Amino acid sequence: MTPVLEIRSYTLDYALPKDRFRALEAIDLAIDRGQVLGLVGESGSGKTSLAWAIMRHLPANAREISGEIRLAGEDLRTKTPAEIAAIRGRRISMVFQDPSTSLNPTLPLGEQLAEVLVRHRGLTPKQAWTEGEAMLDRVGLARPADMMHRYPHEASGGEKQRVVIATAFACQPECIIFDEPTTALDVITARQILDLFANLQRETAVASLYISHDLAVVASVADRVAVIHRGRLVEEGVIAEVFSAPRDEYTKRLIAAVPRPDRRLAGAHAVPSAAPLIEMRGISVEYGRPSLIADLLGRSRRRVTGNREVNLSILPGEIMGVVGESGSGKSTLARALVGLNRYDGEVVFAGHRIVGVADMDRRYRRDVQIVFQHPDSSLNPRQRVGEILSRPLRLYGEGGAPGRDTLIAELLAQVRLSADFVRRYPHQLSGGEKQRVAIARAFASRPKLVICDEITSSLDVSVQAAVVELLIDLQRRYGTAYMFITHDLNLVRQIAHRVAVMYRGELVELLTIDELSAGPRHPYTRSLIDAVPAPAG
Amino acid sequence: MIELFRRLARSPQGAIGVAIVTLALMIVVLGPLLAPHSPEGLYPLLRYKGPGAGHWFGTDQYGRDILSRLLYGARATVVMAFLATALGTTAGAVIGTTSAFLGGRADEAIMRTIDAIMSVPSLLFALLIVNLLGKSSLNALIAVGIAFTPSMARVTRSVALAVRQQDYVNAAVARGESSAYVVVREMLPNVVAPIIVEMTIRVSFAVMLFATLSFLGLGAQPPAPEWGLMVSEGRRFMHLNAWMIIWPSLAIATVAIGFNLLGDGLRDVLNPRT
Repeated sequence: MTPVLEIRSYTLDYALPKDRFRALEAIDLAIDRGQVLGLVGESGSGKTSLAWAIMRHLPANAREISGEIRLAGEDLRTKTPAEIAAIRGRRISMVFQDPSTSLNPTLPLGEQLAEVLVRHRGLTPKQAWTEGEAMLDRVGLARPADMMHRYPHEASGGEKQRVVIATAFACQPECIIFDEPTTALDVITARQILDLFANLQRETAVASLYISHDLAVVASVADRVAVIHRGRLVEEGVIAEVFSAPRDEYTKRLIAAVPRPDRRLAGAHAVPSAAPLIEMRGISVEYGRPSLIADLLGRSRRRVTGNREVNLSILPGEIMGVVGESGSGKSTLARALVGLNRYDGEVVFAGHRIVGVADMDRRYRRDVQIVFQHPDSSLNPRQRVGEILSRPLRLYGEGGAPGRDTLIAELLAQVRLSADFVRRYPHQLSGGEKQRVAIARAFASRPKLVICDEITSSLDVSVQAAVVELLIDLQRRYGTAYMFITHDLNLVRQIAHRVAVMYRGELVELLTIDELSAGPRHPYTRSLIDAVPAPAG
Repeated sequence: MIELFRRLARSPQGAIGVAIVTLALMIVVLGPLLAPHSPEGLYPLLRYKGPGAGHWFGTDQYGRDILSRLLYGARATVVMAFLATALGTTAGAVIGTTSAFLGGRADEAIMRTIDAIMSVPSLLFALLIVNLLGKSSLNALIAVGIAFTPSMARVTRSVALAVRQQDYVNAAVARGESSAYVVVREMLPNVVAPIIVEMTIRVSFAVMLFATLSFLGLGAQPPAPEWGLMVSEGRRFMHLNAWMIIWPSLAIATVAIGFNLLGDGLRDVLNPRT
C-alpha cells in the first residue's frame, strides 16, 4: 500500500543576502491512511518549513535542492500552480496555530466554511450552507445554525478552532497538517480540541501530520513520532518506544527537559510561621476607563472586571504558583501589584499599607520586580544589554558609577551569560538569552519578591527547563519569593510551595502542593488538572 | 550607516532620491564657490536674456545672473526647509509620544487640540503666524515649523501607542522610572524610524510652503536670492523672459521630488519587515 503522504530525501535552503541557510536536510517521512505522525521540534527546527513545503506555499527565497513530496504516489513538486490550487483544501488541508488570525474577521464563519465546499465539492451555495451546518454539528458546536452566521470575534478561541477544523475536514481530504493547533488555547479548551481531533481522526481515517513542540500533547494524539532538530530528522518511531527509550542524544535531552510533577525542583516549604512578605487584601481591578462624554450624556459605562476581591499572601522566600486559564485575571493581578493597573483594596508589603500607585515608593519598587512573558518585547530594542542592566542599578542607587561595570558582569554571570553580552543588542540574542537578561534586570535590585508572569511559556522546552533551574538557583541563593504565574500545571507542581487557582478574576482555591497532589476540592481545579496531558514517557 | 545607504541605493526611488538630495546638499555647501557671477551683480545692458554663453540660465529684470542666484539661493531655500521640518518634527514627536504615554484624559485633551489646529490648512496657519510675528525668514521658519507640528504629533502618536503596549515600557513604569525618562529614553528611540520617513517627505512640502510664503511676500525679502521669491519677482516679467520663472520653479520641483523619493526609499529600508 502506498503511503498517503511520502517525503523522500527532501532538502530545502533559504537564500539569504550573503549565503544560504539549510532549513531541511534529507527529510524522509511517510504517513499511512488513518495514521497520525507527530512532528516534534523546537522553534527554528524547520517544522513549519516542512508544513509549507507540503502545502506548496514556500516563500520566494526558498530553494528546493532535492527530494520528492508524494501525495498518494503523485509528486507534488511537479504540479502546476493550478493543479496545486485544486489539491489544496481538497486533498490536503491545514489547521493553523492561532484560530483568531487564521479566520477572516470580516466574513461570517459560515461563509468561510461554505466557500471551501462550493470551491472544491461543486455544491451550490445553499447546499454548502446546509452541509456546513452539519459539519459544525459534527465538530461539537452547540448551535451550528447560529454559529454559521457569527463573525470570528463573536466566537471564543475554542469555537473558532472547531470551525477551522471543520473547514479542514470539510472536503474529506486524504491528509491534514496540524500546525500546533492547541498552543494558542487554554488547557481545558485544548483538551477538548484534542479529544475532538481523536474522534474525527478515527471516523475519517485521514493521514495526519501533527506538528507541535509539546511532547505530552504529541504523546497523547500520535501513533508515531518524528523528532526534528536543526532541519534533520534525528529519530523516528512508535511513540512508546521513542519516549521510553530514546536513542538520539537530542531526543533524550528533549524528553528530560519536560517538566514532571513527580520531580520536585524547589526545596522544602517556606517557614509557615513567618510573617507574610506581601499581603493582598480584597484586591479588585476593573477595566474600562471613564469617558467624560459618556458621563455627560448620562450613559452608564460598562466595565470589565479583571479581579474581584482577591486575598492572597506570600511568605518570604516562598514560591507561590498562580494558575488558571487565560482571562482568569492572573496577569491583571500581577500588573496591579507593580502599579500598571489601578486597583481597589490594599496591599501590605513589609508592614506598609499601599492603596495605590502613589504609595509605591522607591523602596517598594526596588523590592518588588516583575519579569514579563514575551522576551522579545520586554527589552528595549534600541538599548544594549549593558544599558538595560545599568538602569535599575542607577535608579535604585546600587553601587557607584565605577563599580557598576563589575556589578553588571556579576549580574550576567548570575544568569549564566558571559560578560561580552554587555555590548549586544536584544535582537542579537535568542529567546532564552533575552529572558535571562530580563531576569538579571529584575534581580539587579536584590528584590524580595519577583513576579514571573508566564515567563517560560514562550520558550522552548529545553530552554524553559534551564530558565526554571536558574530561578530555583537564585531563589535558594537570595531567598527571594516568587509569584509564579503560569498555565502549566506540571511545572507548578515541580516548583511551587503553594498554588493559587484563579477563575474568572476570582481566587477559587489556595492549596499547598501536598494538598494539590492529594486531590483538590474545587471542581474547577479538578477539571484543570484533568485537562493537563500526562507527561510523555 | 553604510549598509543603510547600500540598501537605499538598491531601490530605484531610493537611488534617485539619494542622488538628487546629495546634489542639492553639494549646491548648498559649494554653491557660492561654483557661481560664475555675484547673485546681486547688476548688468543693466544684459537684461531679460534667455539661456546663452555668458549667462547659462539667462538674466532677470536687473540683468542678474539666474544661475548664480539659484546657486546662492539653495542655502536659503533647502536649509530653511530642512530646519523648519526638523523643528516641527521634534516638537510633534515629543507631543505625540507624551500624549500616547499619558493616555486617558490628557491624551484626549492633547489630541483634540491638535485636531482643532489641524483643521486650519497649514498654509493659512503659516500665514497667520507670519502676520502675527512679522515678516522675516526666521519667522517664516518658525511658522512652517509650527504648522507642521500637529500632523507630526498625530503620526507619532499612532506609532507610540503601539510602543506603549510593549513590555519594556511596562517594565520601566513598574521599575518606578520618571515619565520623562520613559518618554525620552524608552519610547522615542523606538518611534524614530517612521518619523524620519515622514520627515523627509515633509521637507519637500516645506520647500514648497516656503516658496509660497516668499511668493506671497511674507518670507524672504528682496533682493534675497530665495527660489520662491525669484518666482514671485519673475512673475511680472514673464512675457519678457519666461526663463526667470522656469528655472527656479524647476529647482523647487526637483528638490521636492528628490526628498519625496528619498522618503519613499527610507520607508522601505527602515522597515525591517520588508
